[in-house]
Amino acid sequence: MAGIPGVVGVLVGWLSAGRVSVLTAMNDSITFLHSSDWQLGMMRRFLGPDGQARWAQARLDAVMRIGEVAKQTSAAFVVVTGDVFEHNQVERQTILRACEALKRIEVPVVLLPGNHDALEPGSLWTSSQWLGHAPEHVKVVTDTLPREIVPGVEIVGAPWRSRRPVSDPAAPGYADLAPAPAGTKRILLAHGQLTSLSGGMSDVPTIDQTSLEAAVTDGRLHYIGLGDRHSTTEVTDRIWFSGTQEVTAPEETHPGNVLKVTLTAEEIEVESIRVGAWHMVEHHAELYDEESLTALEDWFAELPEKERTYVRLAADGSLPLPLLSRLDAMVDAQGEVFASVERWAKFWTVRPAPDAADLDALQLSGPARAAMEELRQALAGGDEGAGAALTLMHRLARDAG
Amino acid sequence: MRLHSLTLRNFRGVKDRTVDLPAIGTTVVVGDNEVGKSSLVEAFALVFDFPDDSKSTRIRDIQPVGQDVAPEVTVELTLGGRELAYTKRWLKNRSTELSIVDSDGRRQTWTGREAHNEAERLFAENVDPVLWQTLMVGQGQSLVLPTPADAEPLITAVTAESGTPVDGASMPLVTAVEHEYLRYWTRGGRPHGEYAKSAAVVATAELAAEQALKAMDEVVADIRRAERLALDLDDLSSRLGDHLKSVEDLRERKKATDEILLRRDSIRSRAETARARLENHTRTRLERERLLADVERFTKADAELAERRTDSETVARKAAETVHAAEAALAEVVELKDERRAQVQDAERLVSLLMDRAELDRLTGQQAELVDVRARIAAAGTVLDGIKVDDAIVAELEDARAKVVEARAALAAGVPEVLVRRVGAEAVELSGTGLDAGSGKKVPGSLAEDGEIELLVSGELVVGVPGQVEVKVRAGGEAATLRALVDEAVRREKDLLKKARVKDLPAARELLRKGDLASAELQEARRTERSLTAGGDPAERIALLAARLGIVEGEEPAEERESKQPAVEAVPGQMSLFEQFEPDENAFDFEDFEVPAPMDVGELAVAQRRQEDARSELAEVERLLADAEFAAAQARKAADEDRSEAQQARARAELAGERLTAAVEALEAARAVLADEDVDSAEVEATAEVESVLDELTAVQEQVDAVGADEVAGELADALAVATRLQGERDVLRDSLRTTEGRLEQSGRDGLATRRDSAELDLAAIRAEHESLKRRADAARRVYETLGRHRAEAQTKYSEPLQNRIEALGRSVYGPSFRVWLDDDLAVAERELDGARLRVEALSTGAHEQLAIITRLAISHLVSTGDSSVPVIFDDALGWSDKGRLRDMGALLGRAGDHGQVIILTCMPERYEHVPKATFIKLEA
Repeated sequence: MAGIPGVVGVLVGWLSAGRVSVLTAMNDSITFLHSSDWQLGMMRRFLGPDGQARWAQARLDAVMRIGEVAKQTSAAFVVVTGDVFEHNQVERQTILRACEALKRIEVPVVLLPGNHDALEPGSLWTSSQWLGHAPEHVKVVTDTLPREIVPGVEIVGAPWRSRRPVSDPAAPGYADLAPAPAGTKRILLAHGQLTSLSGGMSDVPTIDQTSLEAAVTDGRLHYIGLGDRHSTTEVTDRIWFSGTQEVTAPEETHPGNVLKVTLTAEEIEVESIRVGAWHMVEHHAELYDEESLTALEDWFAELPEKERTYVRLAADGSLPLPLLSRLDAMVDAQGEVFASVERWAKFWTVRPAPDAADLDALQLSGPARAAMEELRQALAGGDEGAGAALTLMHRLARDAG
Repeated sequence: MRLHSLTLRNFRGVKDRTVDLPAIGTTVVVGDNEVGKSSLVEAFALVFDFPDDSKSTRIRDIQPVGQDVAPEVTVELTLGGRELAYTKRWLKNRSTELSIVDSDGRRQTWTGREAHNEAERLFAENVDPVLWQTLMVGQGQSLVLPTPADAEPLITAVTAESGTPVDGASMPLVTAVEHEYLRYWTRGGRPHGEYAKSAAVVATAELAAEQALKAMDEVVADIRRAERLALDLDDLSSRLGDHLKSVEDLRERKKATDEILLRRDSIRSRAETARARLENHTRTRLERERLLADVERFTKADAELAERRTDSETVARKAAETVHAAEAALAEVVELKDERRAQVQDAERLVSLLMDRAELDRLTGQQAELVDVRARIAAAGTVLDGIKVDDAIVAELEDARAKVVEARAALAAGVPEVLVRRVGAEAVELSGTGLDAGSGKKVPGSLAEDGEIELLVSGELVVGVPGQVEVKVRAGGEAATLRALVDEAVRREKDLLKKARVKDLPAARELLRKGDLASAELQEARRTERSLTAGGDPAERIALLAARLGIVEGEEPAEERESKQPAVEAVPGQMSLFEQFEPDENAFDFEDFEVPAPMDVGELAVAQRRQEDARSELAEVERLLADAEFAAAQARKAADEDRSEAQQARARAELAGERLTAAVEALEAARAVLADEDVDSAEVEATAEVESVLDELTAVQEQVDAVGADEVAGELADALAVATRLQGERDVLRDSLRTTEGRLEQSGRDGLATRRDSAELDLAAIRAEHESLKRRADAARRVYETLGRHRAEAQTKYSEPLQNRIEALGRSVYGPSFRVWLDDDLAVAERELDGARLRVEALSTGAHEQLAIITRLAISHLVSTGDSSVPVIFDDALGWSDKGRLRDMGALLGRAGDHGQVIILTCMPERYEHVPKATFIKLEA
């Protein structure tokens, strides 16, 4: 397999030329930024075409904000622990725009291939599209050799070489390591789920947390930056998931951050800094009367940054036909205001509850009244299709009346 | 409502008429056309609709033409339980009066506009307009089937009877539901419009997504393949490395064994050399033995061939002498033959000369005959050229002659015939025009004494006795015409005679006969000429023979030849018809030649006999010559053979001498190299050397076998082959890997994953949209079908009372198989009779009208119990029914009167004579 030559060596040379003095003036402390799971090129079907385009740009914007944070925090470099791209076969535009965003980060950037963009045959990292456009200060980890990125700091990575690793995907990065030389801080970049957090649900081998902690304890590693988990997660004070730079799903608890990591001789300080701009929220509403419907309207009204918010809405209950129509209208209207409002089909069980008053109000008689009554009874018997028919008939009768 | 009476005054053609109508039962108002039946119906409508001050044309139209009178209508009726008397007068002395007596017997009256308004209100309150229009059938409308769904009294009646309310208020909803349904579905229940398009869009997007997914699956498969290939390549490279090491080991072993092999090769080389030397000595010995044998054999052969050469040369010399003698004898015979041939040629020339003379005699006679025949042909031709008469001209002359005779006869019959006779001494003078004395006689200027003359007078005859009397005789009006006819016939005959160049008809007939004779003569002479010239022109042949015989020009022949005259006589009365015949100057003038004297026949016979004898002698000499030539040829052939044999014997003897010399020389040369006695000993020495070297070779081979030197080379070759194979396999794997990686690179460039995600994104959006449409479409369908079902059920229920009533009435006319089906408007849509169900549009006109009447009677029957009933009025109906149906329909109309007021206006009372209990009111003109 063709490797990418001299990642860290080149970096050191580049840093030595202009900025090392800045970084080494910090009394043996070093600050860098940790991010992961950019997954550039990802698509979210619930956003629709317009929302998708804006969200994709937001993910690039967040990368550029990492550059701003790096400048503000005087970070020496930026590490991205896996899944920079959504696939190895993303379109050319995604790669070129990613390269443009990376140019906005003015310090060295080290990228680790993850499960989405593994260093497998046909990998994006070995493609002419990447190699021809990647900025000079951006390097990709292609082996497991520790390399000094700045004086006194070594980076070692465990790149994914296949989407189907057969063992602990982090282990190659540190298993055979000797303790770091005295005075050298060593950072491991790895990608994958921790055995301790996966709950045994992962279908690929997981990372053994105990072994990682042992490597920290025996001085082989001083910080372990992990990727794959999209929520910012502190595993131990020196083992962190940075989480994705921009939210990708409502289930994520703390997405949209970058970690500012400061290592001193003995201490470590990790700070989560928000760079994301979007929100993905899930909401469950119980709807049974006008008051509950109003409460839902209020909830929508209070959400901030609506145009950058996706709402996955679950609801159950039953509503009289006029309220059901109001609910439909409300959800449709909010869909125009928000980036997207999705009825969560799996958890959407709001049923029409026509009462006699509804029907009387329409002043129907004869066959029309009988037809509506039949539909009402079918709905009461659990016939979902009858509910939609009843709602429609109610609307038509109201409009016709 | 019940109508009691109608009074019309000054209403169209009606001056003043009151019709009283029974309140119940069937009334037939009978009147001829134009007596005002229809005016009764019209008057009822106008009195309620138009106030007395109306200027409507409809009001003006009812005023009798040319009469300045006021139309007036009075109607008495029961309306909503009240008795009304309502009178209205228009145009002049306008007035309106309404008198009402309610059920309590109280009377109220109104006049003017109040009266009109009150009447209008009461009518609107108590009479349903739809029902009124439905049951009042104007002229020409009896075929129209009623659609009474909007008639309130009827709806009330059917609702009351069926217990099912009619759902008129739901129609907007029904329309809206149908509209919504048709947005998504066709009437036949197939997806339609936006919904159908959406399904197609989903299918397209699914296909696109499937293709994108498939492309991406191929990428994933390529990745797996590349991973596998990389592993296989690593494994193979490792095995190849191990194998190359074992190849190196084998190479080291081979270096050690190569020295022994080199030594073996050296001994093998020596053995080859020794063996070659031995073979060389053996060949030398065999060659010496052969040389000795050759010398002996060639010496013997040389002696034998020399003897054979001498013998053959002797034989050849004798044969040459024999040839010489034979050729001398042959020369003598040839000379004799030439003499005999000269004799034969002389005899043949004499015979030929004699025969030519005989032929010349014959041709001379034939030529003389030919000259005669040609003279005859010329004479006949001249005659025929002179005759201008043929059958047609003779026929025309005969016709002309007949016409002259006929014209003259007519002239004689048509003009006065005057006989003038001189009886006295006085001179009688004749003169005039158009006189004909007959037979071409001339009319004399005077008559001789006692003379008389008969004259035909076609002009004017003057007979006079000078000084005494003059008599003029004039021919009648026809005479000139008859004279002209005679002149015309005579002129025609003369023209024809002139054309035929004859003086009269008999001369023409004679000339025609002579022409026929000349033609016959001409044909005969030509036949003779053809037979004489059949073998060619005799003159040419005579000239040829004369030239051959050398005959020269001589004296005139002794016999004077007569000039032949043609065999046609001259024609009497004909001018010079014939010219002198002149012989052909170009013909052969045989008379200028000397004719040989007649030949002596015996001379020719003698000459021919001599010719035969000479030929016999020549044949005998030719036989002798052939024999002599054969003998000479035989002698030459034998001499040639003997000479050839002698030459061959000489050549063979010379060859044998040369071979012997060569064999002796070869033997001498070999002996110079190696003497005969040394040849065997050299061969023995070479054999011993070969055996020695072979012993050495056996010893070294044992050493090779002991160390397996030969196998090492084979093992090394095998190992190298395996290495080559492994390298080949590694190259194949490497190529496959590169190819796969190349594909992956390309798929990366194509952004296939993005395409797949994009396609799935599109598909999800399209599906969501389609699902939403489907939910709406399904809901629309559910509502449409549910509502439709309920409406159908309701329609069936509330149409039942009317349907039952129509069927009950219809069965009294058509029998028990009569059934009907109503549509949403309660109109009859189909009728069944005797099992045959038809749309009403398909019914006959009669059946259609009957069904319309039955339906109205049924409606009337249904509403008859309420206050809203109205009379059923038919203005002229049942015009299309046959007599049987008229009877049944009459009965029905009669029974209908039991439930209400039925009024029939007709000018054909016989149509209604079967209406029982009907009141007939006759309107007089």
